[in-house]
Amino acid sequence: MTTIKGNCWVASDYVMAYDIIVQQYWTSPVDPTENSKWVMAGVHEAFNRENGFKDQGYTFIVAAHNFAGGGKSIEHVITGLMGAGIQAVFADSFARLQFRNAINYGLPFITCKGIAEHCRTGDELEWQVESGEIHNLTNGKVFQSIPVAPFVSEVAAAGGLMPFIKQKIADGSIHQLS
Amino acid sequence: MTITEKIMARHSGRDKVVPGQLVWTNIHTVMTMDYLGKQTFTQLHKLGLSTVFDKARVICVSDHLVPPPTPAFATMLNEWREVVKAHDITHFYDLGRQGIAHQIMVEQGHVLPGTISIGTDSHANTYGAVGAVGNAIGVTDAAVAMATGKAWFRVPESVKFHITGKWQPWVMAKDLSLHIMGMMHWNGHLIYKTLEFDGPAIAELDMAGRMTLCNMTVDLGAKNGIIAPDEVTRQYLSGRAKGDWEMIASDPDAHYEAVYEVDVTKVGPTVALPDKLDDVVPIEKVVGRKFNKAFVGTCTNGRVEDLEIMAKILQGKQIHRDVNMIIVPASQTVYLEALKKGYLQTLVEAGAAIDTPSCAACAGIHTGVAGDGDIVLSAGNRNMKGRMGSKNAQIYLTSPAVVAASAVRGEITDPRTFDV
Ligand code: SF4
Repeated sequence: MTTIKGNCWVASDYVMAYDIIVQQYWTSPVDPTENSKWVMAGVHEAFNRENGFKDQGYTFIVAAHNFAGGGKSIEHVITGLMGAGIQAVFADSFARLQFRNAINYGLPFITCKGIAEHCRTGDELEWQVESGEIHNLTNGKVFQSIPVAPFVSEVAAAGGLMPFIKQKIADGSIHQLS
Repeated sequence: MTITEKIMARHSGRDKVVPGQLVWTNIHTVMTMDYLGKQTFTQLHKLGLSTVFDKARVICVSDHLVPPPTPAFATMLNEWREVVKAHDITHFYDLGRQGIAHQIMVEQGHVLPGTISIGTDSHANTYGAVGAVGNAIGVTDAAVAMATGKAWFRVPESVKFHITGKWQPWVMAKDLSLHIMGMMHWNGHLIYKTLEFDGPAIAELDMAGRMTLCNMTVDLGAKNGIIAPDEVTRQYLSGRAKGDWEMIASDPDAHYEAVYEVDVTKVGPTVALPDKLDDVVPIEKVVGRKFNKAFVGTCTNGRVEDLEIMAKILQGKQIHRDVNMIIVPASQTVYLEALKKGYLQTLVEAGAAIDTPSCAACAGIHTGVAGDGDIVLSAGNRNMKGRMGSKNAQIYLTSPAVVAASAVRGEITDPRTFDV
């Protein structure tokens, strides 16, 4: 069983894709290290400096509805969060475009209804990947999220959709995808 | 199961799927176009592949940039042509045979009921008009589908819109679309859902209207919009469909997260005010407002039926001297049909300019863009600041009938009060 443990940052409001990566970086190359320097710059004043979010060392983000919404499909949102050390985002719901990007890059976007109400920034969470249980070790609460489909973990393990597909083409198992 | 669930189950080799489940499905066709197509092929090459899964099922269309307005776009188009030719793609709708990709996909029979087609453009939802799951994806997903004939999906929750009543004269599917937008709000709780339309008022709707309705579901935040195939679909597809298909419909006991009833008898001409899609009012509230540009075209409203209704209104009339009107048929096929039926002659005689089939000014990157201070009355699908060019322009959205009647008076006019 895989478990991941770490501190979380809890969003107080809607988190928009164009605030996670602000406009001046939309055309930068997609690169986790570069993108993570200014990730979340538009979400909170405290993050609006170089490595402002990354330096906090959070492992998880907890949010309410429509995380990374607003209709922007830029992939920097995902690579920026990954570069900053984020290992999963737990939210009531996610914006469609970024949900795809997240899975394609291997950052788990985990649907977990109501979690934001019971977590505070800095709480320590333990995520049991296969079962989908999330334990808030700080206040003892337990949440059941929708477990990730096996292929999502495989994509993440392969380093993203492109390497995952490459591997499947190479070993001839591409036709078994279902 | 709902029709969308059935389609996803069938093409992922399952008996059953449930909302929230992630599945890989077979893809019937993958569309890519001039604006993102080159990048899509580049991603394909990064997978180490030099061929697509099926040359006849990767559909390539030039629509956003043809004919090219700048040297940079001309160069982009040249690179695009080169890569499409290198892959020996069977169906390449390039300048001369072009059209807006979503129009081409449906009118040329590349989308079939009961199947899944995807495209690298947000309005791929249009394909639901013939009972297909149509979905927009990014270049990476498109490249994977071009390589494998497969894509992954999260099975969406279904929401039903049951549409009853009688369509009032001059009221179009676009009015219903905008009405629903006002009801549900952009970015509301329809995000990621599949929207299924049915009921007696949908059964009466022609394919053009069904395309308009499904087209704009993406602007409601939905994953897809779908109308189960019926006799209208069968007739429309006969002679067009590239492949066999079967009737498919939702089960009587299918589960919907919500069901909304709309009585279309009560829907009149409808307008979205500038900047926000869901800031929607019945036309009475804005009658008399002046504007200086009229635009009808796009994947939402550039079809023969749209040109026909405008020709009816503009027959023997003159467009107001203070209004510049641009009309863009959605494809070369639409253009030719409207030409043969005499609609284009009527529109030109009334003082409208006909532009080459393309996205034209819709996304603000091609011909006919808006400048500072322009007030555009458009039959397109998006009215955010800067969408059609200048951030200092205003865009009202409405139906082709409203645009045509209003163009004559030079102010927003209810076609029901217009002397045709
Ligand atoms: S017509 Fe407009 S909305 Fe439709 S595909 Fe072209 S740019 Fe997009």
